Amino acid sequence: MALQDCTLTLPAGRVAALVGPNGAGKTTLLHLCAGLLEPTEGDVQVLGRSPRQRTAETLPRLSFVAQDHPLYKSFTAADLLTMGRRLNPRWDNALARSRMQALDIPLNRSVGKLSGGQQAQVALALALGKRPDLLLLDEPLASLDPLARRDFLRTLMDAEAETGMTLLLSSHIIADLERVCDYLIILSASRVQLAGDIQEITQTHWRVIGPRQEVEAAARGQTIIEASHTGRQTTLLVRTDAPIPEPVGETSWAVEEASLEDIVLAYLGQQARESSAQRREMEVAQ
Amino acid sequence: MIWLTWRQHRIEGLVTLSVLVAGSAFLLITGLSMAHSIQDSGLGACVASHPNDYSSACGALAALFLQQYAPLVPFVFALLLFPILLGALIGAPLVAREYEQRTNLLVWMQSVTRTRWLTVKLLLILGASALVGAALLALLTRWYVPIDQFAGRFNQLAFDFSGPVLIASTVMALALGIAMGALTRRTVAAIFLTLALLVGIRILVEFNLRPNYQPLVVVTWPFSQDQPLGSANPPITLGREDWQVSSGFLDAQGNQTHGIHCTSDKQTPLQCAQDAGYRGNYLAYQPAGRFWTFQWIETGIYLAISALAVAVTFWVVRRRLG
Repeated sequence: MALQDCTLTLPAGRVAALVGPNGAGKTTLLHLCAGLLEPTEGDVQVLGRSPRQRTAETLPRLSFVAQDHPLYKSFTAADLLTMGRRLNPRWDNALARSRMQALDIPLNRSVGKLSGGQQAQVALALALGKRPDLLLLDEPLASLDPLARRDFLRTLMDAEAETGMTLLLSSHIIADLERVCDYLIILSASRVQLAGDIQEITQTHWRVIGPRQEVEAAARGQTIIEASHTGRQTTLLVRTDAPIPEPVGETSWAVEEASLEDIVLAYLGQQARESSAQRREMEVAQ
Repeated sequence: MIWLTWRQHRIEGLVTLSVLVAGSAFLLITGLSMAHSIQDSGLGACVASHPNDYSSACGALAALFLQQYAPLVPFVFALLLFPILLGALIGAPLVAREYEQRTNLLVWMQSVTRTRWLTVKLLLILGASALVGAALLALLTRWYVPIDQFAGRFNQLAFDFSGPVLIASTVMALALGIAMGALTRRTVAAIFLTLALLVGIRILVEFNLRPNYQPLVVVTWPFSQDQPLGSANPPITLGREDWQVSSGFLDAQGNQTHGIHCTSDKQTPLQCAQDAGYRGNYLAYQPAGRFWTFQWIETGIYLAISALAVAVTFWVVRRRLG
């Protein structure tokens, strides 16, 4: 069972980051969205269709770049373009071809001989050539060096800006995606921990730092996602829609904006604590 | 899809074609040589003038001829194994390699449904294998014509390449290979599994099933007092198209045996056999008229296995992702 109690809505036109530790179920979620897997329970609606009616009507509007961007290694880039052209009714050959030419990818050499970054670009060009309304990418940056990451993201964002398609990218590190995404889904231990607009998320999460008693008093009534204590100082990560009272007068505590990375780590840490607490309970029960 | 299938398998296709060309060159040369030899030795003329008793009239010439060309049999047998190789080397990796290299995640996300992807591939590959089987059938049938005159086609070797069974067994080899690839999703495992299965099916069919598609016709007759044991003179003469499956002796219980166990050495073999209760000789055969019935029964068996393999492949591909 890779996913449980996983309820999630991705608004159209967003660039969403799907973040979670390895084994959290990111790939399963993407395969469900791509129609490659059918859910054993529950329902998935993609582009307004459920999985059973999906394939014939939805496939042309949907692209998926799997992890490590598999390609037919003995094919040349030109062969892959031909494949895309012959198998996709909405195929835009000029688009796919110009993307490869812009990146100096040789069209008549077998793609197995290209660098990892070039192979990723070929896979992306194939996905974009379908002119999808939804593009799913599974760990697109994991196997790329920093320069190739930058180029890959640039190609991706150019295409997004031109077409306004919906993007869903998975990664186990938010830093990769922070600059390009405006929507965040945190998946951990098979469950959605948080999903929402990134701006909203950063505006409703705060770090409160100071002596333990004063900090806990200030955060009373708010949702505490994570608390960490070092010596005399306590740091709380708090979620709140209402503004936190500013420190008044001679207090030694402070409120500051939480970075997206802090927030992600806090939610992942929360999950880890819960599951270890559950384990302890089970041990006690035994 | 047609283009993609061609692009993925063009090298295999060209190799298959060149093997067929090489095989047909070999069969053409040896075939012509056989035809000449039959004409030059007078064997052809002899068989033509003794249509009913050629085995006694032309036996010496025929034995010489068979001796001369017996070394060819392994080569012909190798050509018959060619479809098994195709099943293992082209069939088994067909789906297995997609899973292994995860290219199924690429191709199933084009605008072609998985079912359609598999349907087109299977139609093309199994269709091509039927063509290969038909080509082998044509080549070997033509090649066998000189031998056919006195050996007939209803025997363990020639039956394999004298009718639709050759086409059906080639299709089955590919279909089974593809199904094993889908089930294991590992190329190497699928290749070995396919080889083992195909050889197993072949042995089972040739030695257990084929001789018994219809009940054997068994002829029995008593020992003859004035002839030595073993040179029994059957009351019927089998034609070249009759398939003699086995012959031997009937023991005291009426069971068919190939040898006689004698404990005493004082008597003649005949007396010994009669003392031990052996009742006489037997000969079991399939009459010539059943040739086409047998061809169609065996074709049906192979096609049924192919259909099962195709069903398994669809089942796996529609359900399994990796």
